[in-house]
Amino acid sequence: MIAALVAAALLAAPGAGPPVTPEGLRARYGGIRRLEADVVQVKEGKHWARPFESRVRLRYTPARVEWETLAPLHALAVIEGDALYLAGPDGQRRDMGPMAGDPRLEAILRFVRALLSVDLPGIERDFALAYGPGELTATPRPGSPLELFTTVRLRFEADLSIASVDLETRDEKTHLRFERVEQEPAPAAHP
Amino acid sequence: MRRTLLVLAAAAALALALRGIRLEEDPVHSLAHPDPIRAQVFDRYQAQGLFRDLIFVEAEDLAAPDAQALAAGLREAGYAEAPLFERPSPETVLRLAPLLPPDEVERLMGEDALRRRAGEAASVALLPGGDAVLEELERDPLGLGPALLTRMAGAPSGGGPAVRAYRSPRPLVYDRIGKLYDQLVRLGPRVHFIGGDFFALENYRAARHDILVCTAVSLLLNLLLFHAFTGRRVLLALLLVGSAISYLCGLVAIRAFFGEVFAVVLAYTSTFVGFNTESVVYLSAIDPRRKREALLGVGSALGTTLIGFLLLLTGRTVMIRQMAVASLAGLLGFLGFLALYPRLLASVRFRTFRWPGLALSGRSLVVLCLAAAGVVALAGVPAVATHVDAFRFQTPVLDRQVAHFSRKLDSLSLEDVVAFPAQGSAEEALSGLATQGLVDPARHPLARLPPRAEQEATLRALSGYGQAVARLVALLEEEGIRIAPAPRLPPAVAPLDGWHYLELLGTLGPVRWTDEVGGRRWLMAGLEPGAAGRDLGAAVAVSPRHHYDALLTTLSRELGLLFLAGLVAMAAFLAILQRRAVRVLYVFAPLFLAAAAFAVWARLTASSIHIVHLMGFSLIIAVGTDYTAVAVSGGHGPVERSKVLVAGLSALATFGSLLLARHPVLRELGATVAAGCAISVAFALLVPLRQGAGEGG
Repeated sequence: MIAALVAAALLAAPGAGPPVTPEGLRARYGGIRRLEADVVQVKEGKHWARPFESRVRLRYTPARVEWETLAPLHALAVIEGDALYLAGPDGQRRDMGPMAGDPRLEAILRFVRALLSVDLPGIERDFALAYGPGELTATPRPGSPLELFTTVRLRFEADLSIASVDLETRDEKTHLRFERVEQEPAPAAHP
Repeated sequence: MRRTLLVLAAAAALALALRGIRLEEDPVHSLAHPDPIRAQVFDRYQAQGLFRDLIFVEAEDLAAPDAQALAAGLREAGYAEAPLFERPSPETVLRLAPLLPPDEVERLMGEDALRRRAGEAASVALLPGGDAVLEELERDPLGLGPALLTRMAGAPSGGGPAVRAYRSPRPLVYDRIGKLYDQLVRLGPRVHFIGGDFFALENYRAARHDILVCTAVSLLLNLLLFHAFTGRRVLLALLLVGSAISYLCGLVAIRAFFGEVFAVVLAYTSTFVGFNTESVVYLSAIDPRRKREALLGVGSALGTTLIGFLLLLTGRTVMIRQMAVASLAGLLGFLGFLALYPRLLASVRFRTFRWPGLALSGRSLVVLCLAAAGVVALAGVPAVATHVDAFRFQTPVLDRQVAHFSRKLDSLSLEDVVAFPAQGSAEEALSGLATQGLVDPARHPLARLPPRAEQEATLRALSGYGQAVARLVALLEEEGIRIAPAPRLPPAVAPLDGWHYLELLGTLGPVRWTDEVGGRRWLMAGLEPGAAGRDLGAAVAVSPRHHYDALLTTLSRELGLLFLAGLVAMAAFLAILQRRAVRVLYVFAPLFLAAAAFAVWARLTASSIHIVHLMGFSLIIAVGTDYTAVAVSGGHGPVERSKVLVAGLSALATFGSLLLARHPVLRELGATVAAGCAISVAFALLVPLRQGAGEGG
């Protein structure tokens, strides 16, 4: 796993990636209706006994995001609007109760939704964006409810399909590697 | 040439001195209670108040595109959503824990709840950014905080859509807020909204309109008038440049004494051109053969004007003081400017007219004034009362929003909150107020404080807190998650008494329920509708609307007394200058008539005197008495009457222009002063004092 991270970091070294521009990303992701991907997530930090790797199936539509952890445990988190709920193994919906309605949680959910669909205006709401070769770096704006993040970095393939996302908070680093990304409309058909 | 350079240099220096001056839109911010204790009680309540730096939006049945557009509008205007209730700190959660019912505490610490909590936390932690949930879990492992918030905020009642709060951007950018405001208005009636920013915005828009319209109209009318009566363009230039100088002097004076200038005061400065026209008129065309009489008239006119302004200067609202400072500095600046052009002033000639008139003897004058006083006595002196609506601009759109949220606040017993000085326990204090019929104890948050026995039962249930936390930590470790919460309850957790409970409630919610100010304990409670208007003694109204109504009424009464004192000072001044009682009475006669007319109007329309009327009265005695003073000083000669006509028409044009204002302060001020001046100028022109009247003193 560490080797994979090192490889990802090397591949994303400055100057190694395609030019990433707002126009290019808008053309690639603007008006997206569906995005699905397999994601390998690695979390490490204060709250994790050891680097925690999980395999995830991501299903995105503008109205709903499903983040289904397949292994090592099974969990399905669904974001709909400003609400977050979990779907248990029995398919029953478990609302996150009093957490719903908390603007800070809602800000995180909005951000996750924007992040996973590379929705630039959605990300820019709380972050200042910097474009570099092959990557986009987002830093929280002062006073943003998302100041818990220190840096967010998105890396892209040559065709601007998303390759990985790194999120850093004070106590945690999360690395997401995207595989088998499918989107609708398909990039080639996209104006 | 040297004079012109001097004037230009002075104007440039004055303009330079204005750098950095700040504009304040909402005149309500000019109000502060003169009693420091009451002011502090109100300010501290407001510092935490519902409307401080927040706006509230309630949307119902919005289609998704509208909801998204509204969210984008709020975002673009710089608003960030804020919780209505602050997340309690871990320490506060534990101190408030006795408020939870014992069975709920037992449920939260049960094995099922702990397993479910650990499972949910692990699932959410697997989301990107999910460690925020683990941080929260570490602070409050058993979820006592959300349970407390649900209990304090109340379960969703289904009684209407949820109200969301948004933190205001600072500084306010009115163009951006204006776009949001217009969007919210377009979405009505499905969307309701309220917040200080919207009042400020409406006042900003009104003030911008008033500054432009009133200044332009007033200036144009005065220049036309001046040209019509003198026919000389150079005098128009004199008036125009002099007015610019006086305007700058007024603003620099405000800059010198105040940190910011009220927008409505800027709009008020449109009246300077009228005062300036009057000064030019009185100081010009002085016949050297009748210099003494002319100077007597000028002295009387300028002296009463200055006394009127000084009177306003003693007012307790910052806005009125700013108007007085600007007026005084503007007048003095213009007189200084005129001093540079004595020959030009001497060369002015006014058209004269033949006037019909009814000359009054001294006796008739006394009878007339007594009759006017009798009318006032019969009609009755109107009550003095000012409502905040008369003091700031508010469109029907905001009126509807205020009414909507007032109903909501009323249902929460928050529409008319009063701070009562209290002794003994909170329960005793509330009970005493209830006995007097002032509050309904069932609607006070104290009603939700569990009895001590129940709190003790909760604390007994919480004795297993440490074990439950350890169990949760173990469950999370099985999922590979580490948290390190406080392992046990601090020993200080104890049953809450009423004051302690209300204090803690105030730290979490948007409303303060108790405070200690001036060495006294205060209990806040919603006043029962039936108790409105009762004398509450030392209690302080802390809901903005009621507070400002009471404060403005108090300030109006004070200004009324100052007005009477100003009249006495003016009478003494004129007695010294005019040396004849009947001449002084003649100068004041229009005021008797104006007072009678106002009393009859107030009686017929059931109106009360409010603070803007009193400001207007002060300006009437400052300006309106000038006409009779100049006329009687000059023996009602044709030149003096022409001067009175020009000055009077100028005042009518200037204060009449204020009728075009949107701001109620300016409109009401314009109507009051224009009406008073109309009576005064008509009296001075058409009702001369018979020659020789009162010569005996």
